[in-house]
Amino acid sequence: MHFLKFPSLTAIAFVLPFCASATGLYQCETTLKSEWISKEALTEKLEGQGWVVRFVKEDGGCWEVYGNTPEGKRVEGYFHPVTGEPKIIAQRGRVIFKANEQN
Amino acid sequence: MLKPIIDHRYFLWGLLAIPSIPMIAALIAGTPGENGQPVTEALLHPTGEFSARFLIITMIITPLRMIFPNAAFWRWMMKRRRYFGMAAFFYALFHTLLYILDMGSLQAILGEFLALGIWTGWLAMLIFIPLAVTSTDRAVRKMGARWKTLQRTVYVAAFATLLHWIFVHNNFGPALVHFVPLAGLEAYRIFHNTRRRIGKKQEA
Repeated sequence: MHFLKFPSLTAIAFVLPFCASATGLYQCETTLKSEWISKEALTEKLEGQGWVVRFVKEDGGCWEVYGNTPEGKRVEGYFHPVTGEPKIIAQRGRVIFKANEQN
Repeated sequence: MLKPIIDHRYFLWGLLAIPSIPMIAALIAGTPGENGQPVTEALLHPTGEFSARFLIITMIITPLRMIFPNAAFWRWMMKRRRYFGMAAFFYALFHTLLYILDMGSLQAILGEFLALGIWTGWLAMLIFIPLAVTSTDRAVRKMGARWKTLQRTVYVAAFATLLHWIFVHNNFGPALVHFVPLAGLEAYRIFHNTRRRIGKKQEA
């Protein structure tokens, strides 16, 4: 077959995608599920600060919040599931906040 | 007996429209996404993904015809290439309208316009419009050689789509899974054409 003349090309086409599959923006430290604050508590806390929370899901051991910041930016933010502190906030993939990691 | 049905353009249009049926149904019903996100947000990803898939299918037809010159299937596809292109356009349009609805205000849209993952999407959409408008037989006849020049801007749109997909979520995996085969075929096509050109020069 003609296509077999270019095995390297074929290999690149099929193998490369599997090498480059990183998911999620952030990985939180491992925490006990029993110590997590609830989605509702986090939502309430953020709404108290002026956020509009559209939905919250679990990702990378964090609470991942989708919504608008008090400044009206549509963002996805990763929050520490126990303390509820923001770890990283990105507006359409552009990181606009990153927590200082001292430890 | 099936051939006239399969060869009819309405059959292909129907086939290309199938993925949009559950999407439109969800939009009308206002069904929230699996994590409780608004339906406009939940549909953003699938509409964009189908647009990119149809765009890639449109673009791989020519190189695959080059590799398999005698395959009836790719000849069949070549005749229908414009319908795949139009499907890419309509899913992109659906995607853009959902985005506008989901953002809800011009201020919000402009506020994130300069993010790399966003303006690249707008650029691709902007290029798709003239390509779709000039997809009729009449436009092909009227524009002559300029038609091909215009349609070649699809490569810019494809590259913008790739960047849009990667940077809107900072995630390389899914975008590369879709675009690497296209890049491979385009590389083959360039290699093939260059070799042929060199061959011609040597004969002369």
